[in-house]
Amino acid sequence: MGVLDHIFLGFDAVLYGSGVVPVLGIGIPLPLLMVFLGLVTGIVVGSIPGLAGPMAMAVALPILISIFGYETSAFLPVLGFLIGIMKGATAGGAVPAILFNTPGTPDALLTTLDGYPMTRKGKAFKALRVAHFSSVSGDSVSDIVLFIGAPFLAIMVESYLDLPEKAALILLSLCFIAAIVGKPVGKGLIAVGLGLFFATIGTGEDFYPRLTGNIVELSGGFPIACAILGTLVIGEVFTALYEMRGEIINHGRLVRHKIAGDNSLPLAEKRQLLGYILPSAAIGTTIGALPGIGSTLAATLGYSTAKRRHDARHPDDQAQRFGSGVPQGVAATEAANSAVSGANLIPVLSLGIPGNAAAVFLILAMDSINGLNPSPSVFKFPSSGANPEMVMAFGLFTLMAVANILNWAGGLQVMRLMGNMIHIPKQILLPSVLLLTIAGVYVQDTNLLSVIWLVLFGIMGFVMRLCTIPILPFVIAFILTGPLERTARQAFSATGGDPWFLFSSPICVMLMAGSLFVLVYFARKPTS
Amino acid sequence: MKNTLRSLATASALVLMATSGALAEWKPSGPITMLIGFAAGGGADTQARMIAEELEKRHGWQIIPEQATGGGGAKLSAKIKDMPNDGTVIGLAVTETYGYNMLANPKAGYTQADITPLTTTAGFQMGIVSQTSKGWNDFGDVIAAAKGGESIRFGTMSPRIADIAFLLGEANDVEFNIIEVKGGKAVMNGVNAGDMDVGFMAGIQAKGVAAGDLVNLASALSTPLKMSPDVKRMDAYGVDFVLDGYFVFVGPGGMPSDAQKAISTAIADIVNDPSTKAGGFIKKAFGGPATISGSELGGLLAADAADAEKLMMAVN
Repeated sequence: MGVLDHIFLGFDAVLYGSGVVPVLGIGIPLPLLMVFLGLVTGIVVGSIPGLAGPMAMAVALPILISIFGYETSAFLPVLGFLIGIMKGATAGGAVPAILFNTPGTPDALLTTLDGYPMTRKGKAFKALRVAHFSSVSGDSVSDIVLFIGAPFLAIMVESYLDLPEKAALILLSLCFIAAIVGKPVGKGLIAVGLGLFFATIGTGEDFYPRLTGNIVELSGGFPIACAILGTLVIGEVFTALYEMRGEIINHGRLVRHKIAGDNSLPLAEKRQLLGYILPSAAIGTTIGALPGIGSTLAATLGYSTAKRRHDARHPDDQAQRFGSGVPQGVAATEAANSAVSGANLIPVLSLGIPGNAAAVFLILAMDSINGLNPSPSVFKFPSSGANPEMVMAFGLFTLMAVANILNWAGGLQVMRLMGNMIHIPKQILLPSVLLLTIAGVYVQDTNLLSVIWLVLFGIMGFVMRLCTIPILPFVIAFILTGPLERTARQAFSATGGDPWFLFSSPICVMLMAGSLFVLVYFARKPTS
Repeated sequence: MKNTLRSLATASALVLMATSGALAEWKPSGPITMLIGFAAGGGADTQARMIAEELEKRHGWQIIPEQATGGGGAKLSAKIKDMPNDGTVIGLAVTETYGYNMLANPKAGYTQADITPLTTTAGFQMGIVSQTSKGWNDFGDVIAAAKGGESIRFGTMSPRIADIAFLLGEANDVEFNIIEVKGGKAVMNGVNAGDMDVGFMAGIQAKGVAAGDLVNLASALSTPLKMSPDVKRMDAYGVDFVLDGYFVFVGPGGMPSDAQKAISTAIADIVNDPSTKAGGFIKKAFGGPATISGSELGGLLAADAADAEKLMMAVN
């Protein structure tokens, strides 16, 4: 059987493989219903400041397995719901970033750079429209690539990247982010250093924890959710409270962001935005297809590439530059981080290696439920008959496409509905965000200590903002420290203990030279 | 005399009734905290949560699952030892936590006396695995490849297993590049991605072996592997140590025997019942239940610790 037969069998599995549920008298295939429910859940969760998609997936997975079991018939409904959350939360994540400057994930942080200034200008709903349009467009590009046969790409990429190359690639990512976001580069490097330091505490390969100073509470290390949500969300809440104090002192009252002027997004403008969306979608798809490298890097690259191009076109017009509230900035970021989700399935299915936090839960679900075992054999054509795993894979792709179509059709309405949160006064919203974030972290970790870490990271995020040290390099470094240490240790062992493993192949040398180059280049020519 | 005998018989019957009554009626004094020494969402975590759900359903106990991940069970054990031992705290770890992991960790902060072993739930189907496309049929082929000058990357998931990999090399006069990663899943990723040539996997390879992508080259157990009963054990390659291991529920040390018995029986009943979600899941994910409890479990842990000591001496 060829590719087309497998695609049709995949459709068939979605439509008839897991039963039909009557909704208002009409029979809806269960996987489709689950995608819909997941998508709405994802948009809502992503839209609420302090909550994020991976968190919802972590909570949902054991419940889903408990409801549907782990037989093959459970595979598409469970994965459908998780895919729905993943896609919905990626789109919905733009809502708090744009409206309140409180991104729930590192990817959405770049959306704040132009999204929040748009809100300040009264263009919040326009920013949401741009975000939705770019997000679904990027996602569509990615899904198309997924269908066309990129599965083979992952295996090809993997054959070029050995352990030393992977370690060098992570180093390059860190240098790149420090250089692009840090103004000056030194502050970006400070943020990276802080991220590496905090992620090193209490972790490591030994049975006993390192760098804890014998403080038992530090022995488990800092939970990743505390560090990320603490610096991103709680830090922003503290900063907003600090700014509110300033507003009351200067204006005698709080400034409220209102919707002003035309917030529509006409077709002509959409067409013009495509010039930014398509390159970003290409970047997102490429990064997504690489094993173990996530949506944050895609969003960073998408934004910085578009910024360089855009700012060069408007050298003298400050109001048109990225960072001042231009729709193109929102479009470039959202298209890139959404384009990751489709292509990300390539390394997930063919190698079982996740590219971001959401993919981790897809893999966990695949491990627990019969139907598909992520490995290169998923995309092998059998000599006769169908490969049941490839059928399931195309069933998943179908669900990805369905989620995308549903998002095109109704995602914006849900996002706009959630966008009405802008009318909530800050003095009510900020404590609510604080409470929701604390609750979100507690649900994941059921440990009061996590709440304490969350608040302490919040204070750190606040101080970093006061000192204009960028948050993003800190967060990325915190996330990548584990993979970097692991890969470097493994590369060292795999090369038989060669201390020069980072220079053991031409690709390694190129990547290391690239790291040095970006740091020197951006340090000499600081971006304005 | 007759009267005395009768009174004795009555008294014994009363004591027996009281004891069995106490067993049947043992109830926790409040909600039971279930510490889980594994990351949220994985197979071990799912197993624990399903057992918790069924315990609540069957016995009306309220169970609060809580993650206590880190240090190969050390974090869980250090935490549980100071918690109330009245049956309101239990934890899921692996038997290795109370053997090698405890002895190799100078700052472990716990001993076997600090815990009450309750019951195991499932064993590990530990084998040495490679991709089928490598063309190797048994571990002898790996040794031959290494002797032929091929550099072999050997994936392991704990220091104890890394020691065994080292001994396998030493016994056969070859040197492996031993890569230590966290968890069997990471070994499988490494093998699938081609970053490792062979690796130890504790049951996670079952799907891949059934699909023909992976092959078990040797059993690391004292018994044959359920999925590949014909492969040789490690003693055929000069290493007498085995990597038998189990998921094990424990409580704080000195738990009263009625609580110990009630909880271990309740868990074992669920695990052994394939019609429960937990039982079905364990069958699918870990190849079926293996429940060892009471003094037999105590003996198993003691033997594990003695074995671990021997292994450390052999390596040093």
